[in-house]
Amino acid sequence: MRSIDARVRILTASLLLSVLSSGVAMAQESVSASEDPPFILICLGPFLLIALGFVVFGILWAVFAPIMFVYGVIFSERNLNKRMSDLVLRESASIEHFGKDPLSTLKGGHIVGGAKETGLVYSSIVFSPSHWQLIIAWINQLFGGRIDVIHRVISVGRAEAKQRLREQAQAAGWDEVLNVRIDTAEMTPASKPKGTKAVEVFAYGTGIKFG
Amino acid sequence: MQHIRDGIMVVNTETIAGKVITQNLGVVGGSTVRAKHIGKDIGALFKNIGGGELKAYTELLEESRTEAIARMVADASARGANAIVNVRFATSAVTAGASELFAYGTAVTVE
Repeated sequence: MRSIDARVRILTASLLLSVLSSGVAMAQESVSASEDPPFILICLGPFLLIALGFVVFGILWAVFAPIMFVYGVIFSERNLNKRMSDLVLRESASIEHFGKDPLSTLKGGHIVGGAKETGLVYSSIVFSPSHWQLIIAWINQLFGGRIDVIHRVISVGRAEAKQRLREQAQAAGWDEVLNVRIDTAEMTPASKPKGTKAVEVFAYGTGIKFG
Repeated sequence: MQHIRDGIMVVNTETIAGKVITQNLGVVGGSTVRAKHIGKDIGALFKNIGGGELKAYTELLEESRTEAIARMVADASARGANAIVNVRFATSAVTAGASELFAYGTAVTVE
């Protein structure tokens, strides 16, 4: 947090400095007639830099957006299927480690004999459908009914968050995770429809170690 | 993972197994708004077109959650609690690319 503040401070300082330097340049101009860069350029300097940034971003966008779109068309379904089959393996591995599925939404009333230790466990993932999948979803929406593409993306994201919770619990040495909650939130506010379209899932629960 | 932070136990169940709650010290919370630098934002924008996990934002969520919990724990220890029970998380999207995370729970003393 502190580092972000520092960066903002540096940025403001540099902007102020550029304004100041343009003021100084103006004063110098009135004193001596020797002017290296034209006055108007110094005044517009910061704006020109910002414009340059936009131009660079535009070029990057023009080059990489189509490449990523084609990548999405070819690989997004394949990657999803790969992640699904991967998850099945990882899930069975951790169920084997715990002897059962460690996650539950129970509050611990079923535990006989009490616990030695408890503590918070949490995991998260930010996941997004590709633009190709969004286009397919849009076509599906025209006909109505079930939209399988998006459903699969979100359910894989959720399964991944749950599996990460199991792995966290395994790493911390818990025997079971109680009162698991799974929250889903949108990365971008609905008022800004042009932003990154991603879904964030986060899962948390209470790890417990039997006495 | 550290399950006891600064001597304060943090759980999201209503009770702590094996302990008795002796005193209720009220609701404590901690929140934070964080963002990634513009380079990572642009990277995520391109990754978004291709689909899949956006690792930069997963990281962001992880960082902000750790920070929110740390602030909540600081709040609780200022009240003299030794545990926080029934912890909940809430997120909201303030602007694109920034995440606001809020953690809250009930500060208690347990024995």
